[in-house]
Amino acid sequence: MLEIRGVTKAFGGIRAVADCTLSLEGLAISGLIGPNGSGKTTLFNIISGLLRPDGGQILFDGVRIDGRPPHRMVRLGLIRTFQLSRVFAGMTVLDNLLLAPRGQHGESLRSLAWRRGAIRRQEALNREKALETLEILGISRLRDEFAGNLSYGQQKLLEMGRAFMTEPKLILLDEPAAGINPSMIRTMIDTIVRMKEAGGRFFIIEHNMDVIVELCEKIFVLDHGEKIAEGTPEEIQSDPKVLEAYLGG
Amino acid sequence: MTGYCVAPRPSSLRRTQGYASLLGAGALCLRPFCEAFAPPASCRALTGERMDLLLHLCVVIAIYSIFAMSLNLEVGYTGLFNFGHVAFLGIGAYASALLSLAGFPFFLCLAAGLAAAGLAGFLLSIPALRLQGDYFGIATLGFGEILRLVFQNEVWLTKGPMGLPGIPKPEMLGVRFESLPEYLGLAVVAALLTYLAMGLVTESPFGRALRAVRDDETAAEILGKNAFAFKTRSFVIGSVFAGLAGVLWAHYTSFISPSDFTLNETIVVLLIVVLGGKGTRPGPVVGAIALIFLQESLRFLRLPPEWTRYLGPMQQMVFGALLVALMVFRPEGIMREKRRK
Amino acid sequence: MDILLQSVVNGILAGCIYALFAMGLTLIYGVLNFVNFAHGELIMWGAYFLYIFISEPFSLPLVVAVFPAILCTVFLGIAMDFAVFRPLRKADRLTLLIAAMGLSFLLRNAAQFFWGAEVQTYGLEITRGYRYLGVSLTANQILIIVVTVICVIGVYLLFFRTSIGKSMRAVSDNLDLARVVGINARRSIRAAWIVSAALAGTGGILLALDTNLNPEMGVINLVKAFAATLIGGVGNLWGALLGGLLIGLAENLSVLVISPGYKDAVAFAIMVVILLTRPYIVTGKRMD
Repeated sequence: MLEIRGVTKAFGGIRAVADCTLSLEGLAISGLIGPNGSGKTTLFNIISGLLRPDGGQILFDGVRIDGRPPHRMVRLGLIRTFQLSRVFAGMTVLDNLLLAPRGQHGESLRSLAWRRGAIRRQEALNREKALETLEILGISRLRDEFAGNLSYGQQKLLEMGRAFMTEPKLILLDEPAAGINPSMIRTMIDTIVRMKEAGGRFFIIEHNMDVIVELCEKIFVLDHGEKIAEGTPEEIQSDPKVLEAYLGG
Repeated sequence: MTGYCVAPRPSSLRRTQGYASLLGAGALCLRPFCEAFAPPASCRALTGERMDLLLHLCVVIAIYSIFAMSLNLEVGYTGLFNFGHVAFLGIGAYASALLSLAGFPFFLCLAAGLAAAGLAGFLLSIPALRLQGDYFGIATLGFGEILRLVFQNEVWLTKGPMGLPGIPKPEMLGVRFESLPEYLGLAVVAALLTYLAMGLVTESPFGRALRAVRDDETAAEILGKNAFAFKTRSFVIGSVFAGLAGVLWAHYTSFISPSDFTLNETIVVLLIVVLGGKGTRPGPVVGAIALIFLQESLRFLRLPPEWTRYLGPMQQMVFGALLVALMVFRPEGIMREKRRK
Repeated sequence: MDILLQSVVNGILAGCIYALFAMGLTLIYGVLNFVNFAHGELIMWGAYFLYIFISEPFSLPLVVAVFPAILCTVFLGIAMDFAVFRPLRKADRLTLLIAAMGLSFLLRNAAQFFWGAEVQTYGLEITRGYRYLGVSLTANQILIIVVTVICVIGVYLLFFRTSIGKSMRAVSDNLDLARVVGINARRSIRAAWIVSAALAGTGGILLALDTNLNPEMGVINLVKAFAATLIGGVGNLWGALLGGLLIGLAENLSVLVISPGYKDAVAFAIMVVILLTRPYIVTGKRMD
């Protein structure tokens, strides 16, 4: 699982993440909370390879991954979504999902030349999986719609489904409930639970405390880049340090 | 990618046939148009002349189509601002011409032209593709200019500004492509092969990933697509086919010089790509037909003889204005890429 | 030793002209955040406008003709922005750049339409250079230095002593924030085009005085101006000045070791080196 040891990152004198250490060992769904600017998204960027940490280590299933380029994370089973949904607006919902599976032969030029049959079979298989995923998400009817025409909530759902299609060991969700209406939030929560039952593991950044409390077994709290608390939802909600971080300064 | 779906395959084949007939129809349409805008009176009597002109234009269209399809892959499908594409046209042309003048068989010259262009593309891509947007544009533009300087200065190799005359016509499989119809056949076959190859690359998971890299590189990376690798492959393929266009051009005109490979050529092919519709399969071909159509119709405006020296710049001015107008009013071009309703 | 010194002087002279080009280019890049691919044609048309005014039917003396020439170049710059770049303010990068290339193509061929592709000169007599300390300088070349210094001082005064200058700097820094604070972005943008075109025109005239005129002269100078811009950092006027001088020096010193036919490639080579070694320009932040 994911293990973060002593990770630090500063941007020109401003400490975004300071000596952060945590472990997601044995957890199905864990949460990461903290006031604005506490370094949550920065931490996600570091984990997913978009940023290099100034110090510390990140291990995934015992293998060091800090400093690896982002495109190598997927094959280890690590994927993330973004705070502002990043679906490919100019492609259909189905195509968005078809991009996700790992190890597609069709992406190799050599295979395109010589192994057309294998590519066709794999595409058919991926298509089946994509249609199933659409079922889980509940947006099957939007299959051929351009992703840019979806509502914001549907886009976030799509992004999550796309992440799920990479058959990951861990999905980093960056504020899945942000900017979507309450009924969609319920759909989101249900989808996450369904994915968990299908074997998915999640690490979720959220501001919406209801969502966090309902889903997470364990919650980590960041403030000004430092981890100030960790524990079950009950422990966190009654921790004075956490209250001070949110209410204080 | 639609070809690989569970859906029946012939649809992509039908489309190819559809566009081939569009190309043929386009060529046929040129004929009455040329008759309407008649060439100077002295040529009227020679009916062969008009047929020759038509065939010539078709060869030009075929070669430009190849050149445009190669750029379309880079600009349209991968989002690379390659403003030095003419360099690879030149490399293909010079490589093939030089070997051909030295007596080597054509297929070797062709292979050399393609390999040289591809290799140059690969070497340029290593440093250049680390640059984003504008910087890549200027870097490739500069590369094009520098290569022109090389063609100009390395007189021992390229005969410099004097150019390479007498490039022999191709001879392959016992056929010598000397006459106009024969060369047209060669050019059209090459264009068709290019069209099919491009289709193979773009209508596939590779093409899908390429477009993802184009639209949102970070998101594509997160999904495991190595953006740099995809861009490099696209760039090299584009360079190879630009080299093909160069080889065909050199052997068609039998004379090449550094002044054939300037920034202006890049702009013309860019115009073809955006006019036809960048990021679409038939776009470059449609654009080539449309542009040659436009160019020739300008040529046949009845100009008094003293004005003929103005024709070239005037045509180019129209192209420049057209390019600007396209960008302002209809950047998608004629064949719009299906991106959203 | 004499040759070396002469090369240095030639380098500074060329550098002054490149500095003018680069300052104009970097200004637009800073304010509007794109490389004006038609900047080379502002340079070229600046030179040709002067040619128009010193020829029939105007036949103005050179010194007088400069003013309408620069004025015309400024009008051209404003027209370019109004007709092409303003409608495309919100367009994506590629569309903008292609439009700029189309514009530059149009302007290049317009010049060729009027004057043909051959090289022209202003028809001034070749004057003998004055010799100072073993170096030769013609009156024209002294003029280059003087004019450049005047322009640099003018730019300094404009940007740091006037309110429009301050507005331009603000807009260059952050367009949206500048608007919020109430700065009239449109006026600042227009001012930027005026200055950019004036600098380009001036530089073009000086270049044509020192060498010659031809419709293609803008293209390679765009590359050189961009290289100089990179040396100094995008949007940085003094950096552009320094960059221009460095490129001029590098070019003229390089002919001591490489073939003169590749002199124009030196700027490009420098640019490539910079682009490859300054990662923060190259890749920006790893995430966008």
